[in-house]
Amino acid sequence: MQRMTKLVTALGALAIVVGACGGGASPTPAPATTAPSTAPEVTPAPTEAAYPTGDFNLTLWTKEGEADGSLQYVKKLTDAYTVLHPNVKIEVVNKDVEALREDFQTASLAGAAPQMLWTVADHIGPFTAADLILPLDDMVDKASYVPAAADIVTVDGKLWGAPVSFGNQLMLYWNKTLAGDTAPADSDALVAKAKELTTGGNYGLVFNQTESFWMFPFLGGYGGSVFAADGKTPTLDTPSMNQALQFMYDLKYTDKVMPPEADYNVADGLFKDGKAPFIINGDWTLSTYVETFGDKLGVGPIPQLSGAEYPKPYIAGAFFMAAKAVGDDPDTKTVVSDFFTYATSQATQVDMVKTLKRLPGNAEALADPIVTGDPFLDGAAAAAQKGIPQPTNLEMRCIFDSATAGVRDMFTGNSDIAAIAKTMQSGAETCISQL
Amino acid sequence: MSLEAVQTAIGQVGLTLIVIAVVVAALEGLLYLLLVRVLRTRYAVPLMLVAPAALGLVILIGYPLLWELNVSFTSMSLRNFKDPGFLGLQKDMFVGLSNYIDVFTKPVLKLTGFWQLFAQTLVWTSLNVFFHVTLGMALALLLFRKMRGKGIYRALIILPWAIPQVIALLIWRTEFNFQYGAVNQLLGMIGVAPIPWLSDPFWNFAAMVLTNVWLGVPFMMVIILGGLQSIPGDYYEAAELDGASSRQSFRAITLPLLRPVLTPAIILGTVWTFNNINVPFFINQNELETSDILVTALFRQAFQYNRYGDAAAFAFVIFLMLLAFTIVYIRKTGSLKGAYE
Repeated sequence: MQRMTKLVTALGALAIVVGACGGGASPTPAPATTAPSTAPEVTPAPTEAAYPTGDFNLTLWTKEGEADGSLQYVKKLTDAYTVLHPNVKIEVVNKDVEALREDFQTASLAGAAPQMLWTVADHIGPFTAADLILPLDDMVDKASYVPAAADIVTVDGKLWGAPVSFGNQLMLYWNKTLAGDTAPADSDALVAKAKELTTGGNYGLVFNQTESFWMFPFLGGYGGSVFAADGKTPTLDTPSMNQALQFMYDLKYTDKVMPPEADYNVADGLFKDGKAPFIINGDWTLSTYVETFGDKLGVGPIPQLSGAEYPKPYIAGAFFMAAKAVGDDPDTKTVVSDFFTYATSQATQVDMVKTLKRLPGNAEALADPIVTGDPFLDGAAAAAQKGIPQPTNLEMRCIFDSATAGVRDMFTGNSDIAAIAKTMQSGAETCISQL
Repeated sequence: MSLEAVQTAIGQVGLTLIVIAVVVAALEGLLYLLLVRVLRTRYAVPLMLVAPAALGLVILIGYPLLWELNVSFTSMSLRNFKDPGFLGLQKDMFVGLSNYIDVFTKPVLKLTGFWQLFAQTLVWTSLNVFFHVTLGMALALLLFRKMRGKGIYRALIILPWAIPQVIALLIWRTEFNFQYGAVNQLLGMIGVAPIPWLSDPFWNFAAMVLTNVWLGVPFMMVIILGGLQSIPGDYYEAAELDGASSRQSFRAITLPLLRPVLTPAIILGTVWTFNNINVPFFINQNELETSDILVTALFRQAFQYNRYGDAAAFAFVIFLMLLAFTIVYIRKTGSLKGAYE
């Protein structure tokens, strides 16, 4: 009887715990919508070998979303390619950037990865470390791309991505109605103007206070970098980092030109609602701000730090990548290669510029009058020229996470900047040692 | 949503359902032949009824658990990203118990270690279960009385349970915004200074508890209300005749007779709260380590840092802790005696 009691107790407990440990629902990705029906005017991409016959059903995972029309553009692009090659159908699936990385890793382990990705440069690190993607040296023409864009995704001498758009840099946007036509000359002028305009619920300057990405330009402006010369040893506990953190701390607590709390959406909302004349945000939002403000929008590099250099935002962009399994079938590889070449050709890229207002990865498209003659893109290009390539190695994830914790700590009022920098450094070292 | 996408989805789901139906039918047929025709056991019907669910548990939970146990003895990570096979022995990935040792000796993530996370998890679980049970009991006792509009009050109280949790959490997170959130604006109306719910360690933890209490009370209330309704009214009448006060009736009649209902509810509530990743993950937007609990740290270790071997060992440590708790709790309270007496 006692044995029976124990058995029932143990089974009952196990059943309860196992049943309770069942996974919960996970958020579902946003549903994709059908792209507008107009196809771009494009020239078929030249192919060196005979194009494969037979049906190809490929999948492209993209981080582009619906809100700014970029997902619709991606679908328009794939539909146009299908018009040229009716035997190729490409299913476009939108995923959030982090979900794309996690799901691609999981799907790769299960042997069910999509053939193509349209994603951010920092995925190169984890995907190459886990050997999940193909080098593209024999699939696309590297010389056709903007050298800086290609360099971002060149690791160990191999090209791992085909640049779709180049930039991703943070820059200064301003509302000309509130702040005037010209950009502030330097950070002192920016702060002075922001102070003047911080009244009655309005804030002079806004940006995302919850991510380290917004800190790195200032670190570069004060002469610092996240890695030592070997590209792997973190250098977050430096005088340059202290200066960068102090500058940001002063903006909020000394100059009082920033809101008490502002994540990406709050900052973006305040700027669009006309409650903040200046915002530091990325080039990915240029088309949305142009739509909101029209010719009352100013765009340019983040002003030079008084007594130091121009802030150096990270340059990255969006890139095509090919799953490793693509290399197992020569015909699929040919089709993917042809699609990448088509999608990053000059004509297609010029159309992308018209639609998405992003700097193209194709070198000829970058020199096209549609870029050089557009004041907004011209401002974005000027900002990009101040930038530096974002490291894409695996260790960079540790830098992002450790630095983000420090930035958040600082923006919640911790004024012990030196201690924050030390904590960032030790956090990054611990993380890297456990990779 | 295009027609093509809908058709594809229906096709995939429909095919899956058909496969499940065929497998279940085949399983039931096999069990019928074995249990009824061959063995002629009197447990044939209960076994046949339980079998499909048991099969589902084995496939969906049992097999993944075993695979995870396997991974916990390997060095699987992003730099070692491949199916380890059996204990990683043939792929030079076997690390023995070192992942389990690392759980207790090395920082789980940036700087915080297992013991701090465990303490935070205990505080989180205790506070939530306490408020779930006490508030749930209070609401259930109120709704157990005769009153007008009881159905409406019940529906309103159950509303938090009905809203998809992720949506509710995203809204709560927005409402905790320091300047623009409804919570601080309401507090401002009664003269309370704005609270940094998302950025201050103490207040962020409080925000998590508040949100989870709001989400969890309806479930506990419903369970307790069901339990109250199953207590025969004769006991209360007899107690009244004997001159017992309402407090005495509650202690001597209500609580003991609610125990068979409360015990599994509290165990489930404890396990669910201990394992609750949604609330801490979404409300702790700024990833404050002081607001992390064991499972959020586990999630980050697995999916942000891709340390799969370490995370698998970590997951099993949590599982074993919860299993031990459940066994001890059941034994001490004797609440499953009815199952085998």
